[in-house]
Amino acid sequence: MNQKSMDKLTGTVKFVILLIFGVLLMMPFIWMVSVGFDRTANITMPFPPRLIPEEISSFNFGIVFENGRLIQSYINSGIVTTSSVALQVGASLLAGYAFSKGRFKYKRLLFILVLCTLMIPMEPRLIPLYTLFNSFGLLNSFWPLILPTVINGMLIFLCKQFFDQLPTTLREAAQIDGAGEFRIFFTVYLPLAGPIAATMVILSFIWSWNDFMWPLVVLNDQELHTVPLYLASFSLENGTSLGGLTMALATVSIIPIVVLYLFLQRYIIQSIALSGVKGE
Amino acid sequence: MNKDRAEMGTNVSVLSNENVETIKKKKRKSAFSWYLFLLPSFVGILLFMVYPILESFRLSFFQSNGTIENFIGLKNFQLVLTSKTFWNTVWNTFFIAFCQIAITIPLGFIFASMINSVRRGQNFFKVVYFLPNVTSIVAAAMIFQFVLHPEMGVANYALDAIGLPTSSWFSDPSTSKWGVILLAVWHWIGFVIIICLANLQAISPEMYEAARIDGASRIQQWLFITIPNMSGTFAFLLITGWIGGLQRFNEVYVLGGPNGSPARSIQTMGAFIYERGFTGFEFGIASAATYIMFIIILIFTFINLKVSKMNL
Repeated sequence: MNQKSMDKLTGTVKFVILLIFGVLLMMPFIWMVSVGFDRTANITMPFPPRLIPEEISSFNFGIVFENGRLIQSYINSGIVTTSSVALQVGASLLAGYAFSKGRFKYKRLLFILVLCTLMIPMEPRLIPLYTLFNSFGLLNSFWPLILPTVINGMLIFLCKQFFDQLPTTLREAAQIDGAGEFRIFFTVYLPLAGPIAATMVILSFIWSWNDFMWPLVVLNDQELHTVPLYLASFSLENGTSLGGLTMALATVSIIPIVVLYLFLQRYIIQSIALSGVKGE
Repeated sequence: MNKDRAEMGTNVSVLSNENVETIKKKKRKSAFSWYLFLLPSFVGILLFMVYPILESFRLSFFQSNGTIENFIGLKNFQLVLTSKTFWNTVWNTFFIAFCQIAITIPLGFIFASMINSVRRGQNFFKVVYFLPNVTSIVAAAMIFQFVLHPEMGVANYALDAIGLPTSSWFSDPSTSKWGVILLAVWHWIGFVIIICLANLQAISPEMYEAARIDGASRIQQWLFITIPNMSGTFAFLLITGWIGGLQRFNEVYVLGGPNGSPARSIQTMGAFIYERGFTGFEFGIASAATYIMFIIILIFTFINLKVSKMNL
């Protein structure tokens, strides 16, 4: 009995600690929304900080939307992200399947090469890629953001792991029916790859949407800026002056992602965990 | 299964020569189609991985602005390695990364253990704690500029209210790194918690049961079962943490621009490369710096691998 009430007590204490720390983590978001709705926050920030603005108004949000650059950047980010997600998920499904079920020369060597790409950061490739796309006249377009995503070692690895778990007997049956490799892939294995494809879409979406350094290098034209680029240029221009506007802008840029996350949280958390468990 | 194989084997040996011929042809054709499967990825590897790596190695021996090139040997490396600005960025990068990792992994692990042991609200806490990680670090940096504002920020107000000393955060070179560290911890802790939770739940409950029968307390179980079983996870977090930390760029660019103001106190190696390469268009120097950074990352990853293997 004593032990039981002891357990109950520590359970409650843990719950309270978790709750407090959770609120602490959420504080920047809560404050962001609150200041965003504060009409007076552009001259000086409200001090002492208050949760409910003195004069609630959607003034800041009105300006953010009227400006139009945010919506444009959303469209740009949308185009870039969908294209690169489609490209890298497609290419990785093909390659992952081949590395799992294929029988061909140099398979091991080629796979090790793929794993090596995981070790190569963006920085040493930045300048040559810049001059490469420059020589094709493709700077200030979305191509430099989309095309290089075709190779993603992590996705190929995850995909191979998944296909390794599917039985090879499925292939043999189809082979006896005389189906070619591509037909076997598209009719037998691809329909089974839903779960891993979903994971790959989620991961590549997050990577692509948040990509910053490479777009910053490639896109000078403001019209083409993606969401993170627009945010950064706004922030560097205004510093900590226009508080209300900045927070409204941050809110509008974060909310859709948060809503998407809340809907898909189970799958997103699973995907992240999967990409991490492989570290074993 | 084996029996089937054996039967198939005898069948094949019975087949006539013609059939063997077509089987061979089919095999060759199928090997070819396997290479087609790999084609997109390997075109990508050649064009966007192998070529840039070799090209930036070549560039590091040249004085170049993208159009005019002069071979200058090791001068770029000499220039970077004797540059105080560069070593300052190395120090900044390592300091921020070290503090971020040293704070986030233990803290994240403790919170993951707590979430794992509470009965109600597990999923709720998971979702809340991971939320900072899904928001882009650029937007987060934008918010933190205000949260950590020395005069009108909510952080200093709260610190002051509970009687703790406040800080000047980003407005002073001596404290600005701590602002970046705080942001980095806030952004990364959700990832650490999710990875820890996934691996905590993979530890077999039988081990705990056996320990409980032997009379081990909760704390003892945590110390002698949970922590040893998590060493692989810690190694993974350590390695990904260092790789990410050494490449830090996005948030310091938003907070301090390409030169990491105030007074270059938060300029990282990545920012140095960006500053030299794309505001000064000194491609040779920037390439030499990327190679030095690349080698630092590789050496560090190998050290981390070695250290974590020893623990296992």
